[in-house]
Amino acid sequence: MPVLKDKELRIVGFLCNWCSYGGADTAGVARATQPTDLRIIRVPCTGRVDPLFVLKALFGGADGVLVSGCHPRDCHYSVGNYYARRRLEVIKRFLPILGIDDRRFEYTWVSASEGQRWQEVVTDFTARIHKLGQAPRLADASPMLKIAELALSSLHALGSNLSAPLDELKAAIKAKLPDLECVIGWQKGYDGAHAVPLFMKTPEDVDKLIWGPLNVMNPAVYLPDFKGRKIGIVVKGCDSRSVVELLQEKLINREDVTIFSLPCEGTLDMGRVNEKLGRYTKIDKVNFDEASVYITADGKEHRFCITEYAQGKCYGCVTPGAVLADVVFGKPVPVSPGKFTPPELAMLDSMSLEERMGFWKAQMDRCIRCYACRNACPMCVCRDYCISDSRNPHWLDQEATPENKLFFQTIHAVHLAGRCTGCGECQRACPVGIPILALRQHIARTVSELFDEYKSGMNQNAVPPLLTYATEEKNIHERDL
Amino acid sequence: MRIGVFICHCGSNIGGTVDCAKVAETASHYPDVAYVDDPMYTCAEPGQAAIEEAIKKERLDGVVVASCTPRMHEPTFRKTVERAGLNPYMFEMANIREHVSWIGKDKEANTNKAAELVLMAVEKLRHNRPLVPKSFDITKKVLIIGGGVAGIQAALDCAEGGVPVILVEREATIGGKMAKLDKTFPTVDCSACILGPKMVDVAQHPLITLYAYSEVEDISGYVGNFNVKIRKKTPYVDWSKCTGCGACTEKCPSKNTPDSFNELMGKTTAITIAFPQAIPKKAVINAPYCRKLQSGKCGVCAKICPTGAINYTMEDEIISEDVGSIIAATGYDLVDWSVYEEYGGGKYPDVITALAYERLLNASGPTGGHIKRPSDGKEPKNIVFIQCVGSRDRSIGRPYCSAFCCMYTAKQAVLTKDHLPDSQSHIFYMDIRAAGKLYDEFTRRAMEEYGTNYIRGRVSAVYPDGNGQYVVMGADTLLGEPIEIKADLVVLSVGIEASAGAPALAEKLRISYDSYGFFMESHVKLKPVETNTAGVFLAGCCQGPKDIPASVAQGSAAAAKVLDLFSHEKLQSNPQIANVDILRCVDCKKCIMCCPFGAIEEVSVRGVNKAQVIETVCQGCGICVATCPQGAIQLSHSTDNQILAEVNALCQS
Amino acid sequence: MSKIRFVKKEDLAGFLAYLRQRDITVLAPVEKPSASKSAIVFAPWEKGMPVLLAKATVSPKNAVLPECEALFTFRQTREENNGEMDFSENINGKPTVVFGCRPCDARGFAAFDKPFLSGIYPDPYYKAKRDGLTVISLTCNSGCETCFCHWVGGGPTSPIGSDVLMTEIEEGFVLQVMTPRGQTLMNATSHYDGTDRFGKVDALRKAAWTSLVPAPNIMDAPAKLAEAFNDIEFWHEMTDRCLSCGACTYFCPTCYCFNITDEGEAQSKKGGRRLRSWDNCMSSLYTREASGHNPRTRKAQRMRNRVSHKFWTFPENWGTFLCSGCGRCITNCPVCLDIREIVVAAINRKSAQ
Repeated sequence: MPVLKDKELRIVGFLCNWCSYGGADTAGVARATQPTDLRIIRVPCTGRVDPLFVLKALFGGADGVLVSGCHPRDCHYSVGNYYARRRLEVIKRFLPILGIDDRRFEYTWVSASEGQRWQEVVTDFTARIHKLGQAPRLADASPMLKIAELALSSLHALGSNLSAPLDELKAAIKAKLPDLECVIGWQKGYDGAHAVPLFMKTPEDVDKLIWGPLNVMNPAVYLPDFKGRKIGIVVKGCDSRSVVELLQEKLINREDVTIFSLPCEGTLDMGRVNEKLGRYTKIDKVNFDEASVYITADGKEHRFCITEYAQGKCYGCVTPGAVLADVVFGKPVPVSPGKFTPPELAMLDSMSLEERMGFWKAQMDRCIRCYACRNACPMCVCRDYCISDSRNPHWLDQEATPENKLFFQTIHAVHLAGRCTGCGECQRACPVGIPILALRQHIARTVSELFDEYKSGMNQNAVPPLLTYATEEKNIHERDL
Repeated sequence: MRIGVFICHCGSNIGGTVDCAKVAETASHYPDVAYVDDPMYTCAEPGQAAIEEAIKKERLDGVVVASCTPRMHEPTFRKTVERAGLNPYMFEMANIREHVSWIGKDKEANTNKAAELVLMAVEKLRHNRPLVPKSFDITKKVLIIGGGVAGIQAALDCAEGGVPVILVEREATIGGKMAKLDKTFPTVDCSACILGPKMVDVAQHPLITLYAYSEVEDISGYVGNFNVKIRKKTPYVDWSKCTGCGACTEKCPSKNTPDSFNELMGKTTAITIAFPQAIPKKAVINAPYCRKLQSGKCGVCAKICPTGAINYTMEDEIISEDVGSIIAATGYDLVDWSVYEEYGGGKYPDVITALAYERLLNASGPTGGHIKRPSDGKEPKNIVFIQCVGSRDRSIGRPYCSAFCCMYTAKQAVLTKDHLPDSQSHIFYMDIRAAGKLYDEFTRRAMEEYGTNYIRGRVSAVYPDGNGQYVVMGADTLLGEPIEIKADLVVLSVGIEASAGAPALAEKLRISYDSYGFFMESHVKLKPVETNTAGVFLAGCCQGPKDIPASVAQGSAAAAKVLDLFSHEKLQSNPQIANVDILRCVDCKKCIMCCPFGAIEEVSVRGVNKAQVIETVCQGCGICVATCPQGAIQLSHSTDNQILAEVNALCQS
Repeated sequence: MSKIRFVKKEDLAGFLAYLRQRDITVLAPVEKPSASKSAIVFAPWEKGMPVLLAKATVSPKNAVLPECEALFTFRQTREENNGEMDFSENINGKPTVVFGCRPCDARGFAAFDKPFLSGIYPDPYYKAKRDGLTVISLTCNSGCETCFCHWVGGGPTSPIGSDVLMTEIEEGFVLQVMTPRGQTLMNATSHYDGTDRFGKVDALRKAAWTSLVPAPNIMDAPAKLAEAFNDIEFWHEMTDRCLSCGACTYFCPTCYCFNITDEGEAQSKKGGRRLRSWDNCMSSLYTREASGHNPRTRKAQRMRNRVSHKFWTFPENWGTFLCSGCGRCITNCPVCLDIREIVVAAINRKSAQ
């Protein structure tokens, strides 16, 4: 349906049946004149409003989206709007990273008796959207082709952690192995420059275990498949946060999992390493010193200083040691806590809204929907039942458009809100190098700002903030509308 | 699918600013639309008949009516389509009156908007599925929480209606606040005389089981099938043996126990029977003041008790009861008035609450019905009543009116004159609210016949003058002058708030409460007794301030709701609830974590754990649906696909 | 006209520009910048863009089997036309050149032709694109750690699937016409005869072969995989680290499985579209039936299918491995799962008996 040309903009409202829809009725009964742009979708409760509906509307060309429900405490279902308040606030703060002006989305509370207030809300919001004008569309955005270099800096010294007592760890694993179905760690991959997951079932398998900056993969992704079985896992600090988050969500049982750990001094960004190595027929040798990895390929030695070639997430790492572990060896790596913006996120932060939209358009263009990002994510619980490729519910069609591909990324990011530990596997797994971690990092930063510096995967007894609510929110303030 | 679309003119209500014929014409091109019409009044009998006829003649399997708000006529039209053989949920409404024609005069824009709203409804309807309610059995027994006058009335009405009643009272006796009152307005009849017989009826009714000195510990289940855990607090007296003879209370050496029944106006013993007409008339040991329980030395009551009922080692007992419905009648508490430093904040013995004053007036009270002020036991001559202490005061977060203080203050002034003919009562008031049968007449009598000095204004300070009197400084806003009165006794009409523990109980009942702790009714005007949790009803001040007649009326109303509920052999569940696609469910438990009603449980399906919705508990809020990442749980009639259909109807660039 | 042409390095862009001028779509390796690692994809080349000859991150199969294509659109007409369906087929045979792919990529097109074009029902959507396609591939001058084209019947200079085979020499590129289609394309150009330089080319090509690590003999892979089919433990062991994503299949030049979905509504103004999009046998969805039953719920079963199809059943049906040894499934796999290891392990597997 075309919007009335030059007269109206496309504004979609989600109103709870009990309060705001009634408030809109009250306004109508009072003949309270309102702009005609708004189209109302009636839902039972704001708690029913999946934040993805907001994104779906905005991606589909809405110029503004408004959610309105019962005032806090007055929810027909007691707590629906408390959940909504958290989720909608997160989504509102998420929009700018996609290049969408967050003023285009608002949520508010209007009771069934507040007809006059409803009139004001509609009038003000419509005026706001008209002032902003028609929303820029991803399809029309000019793709951003020049990408700034990542600014890499380190909070703590990165290194190869030569001193990690791997032999002690191996002995400890061998000792525990009889009680465990297997222990997950890392081994040499198709060549010495690549490490891959290792499933240790015999002492001989344990001898294959390696430790160091090549151990990029997060083995926690395998744990849910072993639920109910005794299993061991070797973790880096970041991996341990995934394990803790899995425990927080009761996706694994603490008593089933034995956690082994050594301190980590950083892992390599294999994307950049592979790029520098280029095409080679053979890896001759791989050597380490305190600060670097030396890879000799076809007779040519390449030096990879960890501080230069680490994954973006490593630079701000505050958990080089495991957050939770049963068996730990080695000296803890000191960290100096401080404010840190991951390099991928800093890059997006520095862009304008328009640039961000162009950035994502250019990046998503090469996504081929292999969903390695999703499958490598330890927190993607849906596994074989992702809504991105289902017909019921039918969130996405199969058209290979940047909109659909970016929408999948937002699904992933939104589903990870308050759960993502920032392990970066999504980005690392992406074969075409799309910096999708930035979306998750942005949401994690938002969650941290809203919920008292909350970080997921730090405390196995904490409830992820978007799976609970508070009657009074310290950091979410009602806006005038 | 064959959809029929009816664009209602609603006379000129819609037709005046929406081109209904054009909307109908536009709608005729929408997907699956097989029939359109634009009747003058769709909800009228001919309009409904036309829908039924069209369904039959045009073989429609879905209907969209674009007219007024669905909150008005959705039930009407659901019945209409059902009469014509359709499932009532194969129906959608587009609100083109309240949301279109009434809020703007631009006919072009309105017509376009109406057409879009119809498109949204059509697109949603194309994803609708027939829904069928399920029926389930009911336990025809009611739990009433609170034995004040509202709870008593509800209990008696339910029991008279043939429904077994479980009545739970936190205190050792039922009667509530009313039992503490001396006389009641506007007829000035004795509170005990009118409440007493009702209390006795409760005790004697074969269908009423009374758990006094008990509290509700936990509630699970759903309408028709609640399970309640009741904690019987230990009275240290075996009530099956106690005859209420009172011998123990006479001999108890611990005579300095604060008398809470008398609003602390006097002292009592550690083992007590609250008052002579208490129901049940059983003794209770107030443990913190009992020498035996505190130091192990004493045991006088045990020695004196003729039936050997005293048991110092008795413990709390948890009782489980199955009920089909619950009435909350937990009453009120007085606002903590000690925040008012200007009135002494509780430091002055002769500044007391009106409820304490009731005890001073009462013949069975600590002074035997003689008005003696607490400090020196002298009869007061000059008595100042200050109204709205803790009512209508935003500064302490109590902006509401406590509803009955104006009336009881007038009553107390009248009674004071009866007791002490030489006395003079002064009443500081903000407004006199005497809206009730015989109420205004009564306050007029207080002023005119009893010479009560009504002063419109607030009191700014009360302080002792050093000579045994209190200086009450205020303003007479009618005269625009400051005023100062020397008072022997100051009585504060302290406002009320929801009783302590009401929010905690609301959580157990899964009902909402407002910011003051009062329970929320389903609809302020039209559903004042119901709550948002099916099968839970409200009576009395727990819902908001009200006087005795209103509390009694609401008690009866709640009982009527219970009797209505229990008149059905079986209950039908609302089919607009969540359900789980067990194939998609991966047992991540997020829905279980978020459900406010505990309506989702984990069940094992062929060895794999899956979420399952308890149909009768689910209230259909949809929080779980917005939570489930894999879209495995869907709310019938508000599925993702239905809402997406509406979104896509509007936004598909 | 000569079958051997020579193009100077600096003239390569001009050659492509000339093709564009003739309204031929040129799909050439294009670098997509990113924050960390960039990707090289086959994208429409336009004048002014650099000519890139690195091996692309993705295969060029998009040219004939797009990631998603609308096969046709359908629209239900109104009652007045008796409610019939209007179909509008999207058979697109626009002249296209894939330029700068490698022999392993070109071999993918040859592999696709077998199922898509054989028999009495060739796939018309595929056929149209294929008929319009000319493949100019660049031979590899050396092997690579993850490349194994020579294991599966190909090689760094294999002509299978290429219409023109291009080899880089010091001063430029020698283009060797391999098929009539290649000849037609080259006939329209006026580039130098390169016959005199073919000696250099031949030497380079031979050198490329000698640089390869000798390949194991995998000719009995079909038989061995057939034997291994019921040894599910073997498959579990082979796939313990698989994440069940679609990287291996979507990057594979020979994987052609697709899914068909209808999107949109026949009754809506826009009409409905029948989409064909890539499918992926590593996904559980691939075999999930309408009833909900799924014969391949475990990744071991799915990997068994993938490897068996490539090295057993496809060769059985079509006489060639469904693998060109490009190694993308290894390099792009988030856990570096190595299909070579699985094939070799299957061959060396000691049977249970």
